[in-house]
Amino acid sequence: MNRNKQFFEGVISNNPVLVQQIGLCATMAISTTLFNGLGMGLSVLIILTCCNVVVAAIRKIIPEQVRLAIFVVVIAGFVTIVDLLLQAFIPALSSALGVFIPLIVVNCIIIGRAEAFSSKNSVKDSFFDGVFQGVGYTLVLICMCLFRELLGSGTIGGGLLNGAKSFITLDGTGAGLRIFPETYAAGALVLPFGGFLTLGLLMALLQHILSKSAAKKAAKEKEETT
Amino acid sequence: MSKTMETFKPGLMLLLVAAVAALVLGLVNLFTAGRIAAIAEETMNAAMQAVLPAASYTDTGFESDGEIDAIYASANGGWVVQVTESGSQGLVTMMVGVSPDYACTGISITESSETAGLGAIAGQPSEKGEAFRAQFVGQSGTVAVTKEGGSIDAISGATITSKAVCRGVTAALAACRSLGGGASVPTVTVLGGSDGPGETAVTQPASTGPASAEPSMG
Repeated sequence: MNRNKQFFEGVISNNPVLVQQIGLCATMAISTTLFNGLGMGLSVLIILTCCNVVVAAIRKIIPEQVRLAIFVVVIAGFVTIVDLLLQAFIPALSSALGVFIPLIVVNCIIIGRAEAFSSKNSVKDSFFDGVFQGVGYTLVLICMCLFRELLGSGTIGGGLLNGAKSFITLDGTGAGLRIFPETYAAGALVLPFGGFLTLGLLMALLQHILSKSAAKKAAKEKEETT
Repeated sequence: MSKTMETFKPGLMLLLVAAVAALVLGLVNLFTAGRIAAIAEETMNAAMQAVLPAASYTDTGFESDGEIDAIYASANGGWVVQVTESGSQGLVTMMVGVSPDYACTGISITESSETAGLGAIAGQPSEKGEAFRAQFVGQSGTVAVTKEGGSIDAISGATITSKAVCRGVTAALAACRSLGGGASVPTVTVLGGSDGPGETAVTQPASTGPASAEPSMG
């Protein structure tokens, strides 16, 4: 399988959030500060990769009738492991993400990739699919966090960056770099419906870019044939 | 024979996968449980010190009533109350410091599953969270958000969480009042950390209304 093509698909042309439109619930709720977005994105990336690998490894021995039940057991297992590890080693992130870590169990990106990809492909391909789809998910979260945080709270890098003390804080206490006073911020963008607006704008932007490049490609091919 | 196998195979496979998953989870739990418990205890201690500093706390043995989990009497007078209220997404557990004259000395949220970026702010060590929690210091009687006639500014977008915290503080204050008699060693001022033995100021157990009470809101 062509890795470049697979990467392009995961991040852009078949992006889990913007194109497949799955896993939107947590995306909407979590993308308010960079710390949360990055933490959630990386957690999903790790869980998705692990689940993809295991599902691909056992794909030939699991009976067709109970495959979904088995996928759910595998996913729930990895989510619980990550949840316990976060609680033990990064308690700040664990408390910031709250209920969304356990909810990754029902995040359709993971069961979606298990059913659509890794149950039909080799372990190696599934590993890269997990990484690339995870990167795609994380990038969308980062874009949404930056947009919503900047316009909604007037800061950049909340929880992660700190203007006053040490520049980078990893415990989620950083207030972020203040770009403009909070009085001028549109707080609505931090609320859930601000998430819908942001997501809609991002989807429209991506579709615009994709259709433009497709049109360009078609025109080029036409030129070559004539 | 093969027909029977066909029938049982899916169930057996599921059992096998579940058993392996349970084994792995058990191992991970074995490695992390101690650490998680230590962090929880540390958080609790830090929360108690933050709301009402004292050298030691003793459990008053207050019977849990579904709202109040436990009341700890501070060695310096006053109490720290652990309260659980239902917020917008789940339970919110907090520590409420109560002075001998039944005023709130501070709150700290130890556990919650509120929405990140909204309700979760109430418990976070951020600027907004600190500002929200600071409002409770000195409150007494019934504590409520401004919308309900109180003086607490709710976190925008998280009114339900803010109300839950108000209810918790109100319940904690009421529980301490019902316990009555001031704390084990009643002193006029709440001292941070040190409890000097030279201080023998024994005041009357505050049976009357709090000295510095703000008009109680209903």
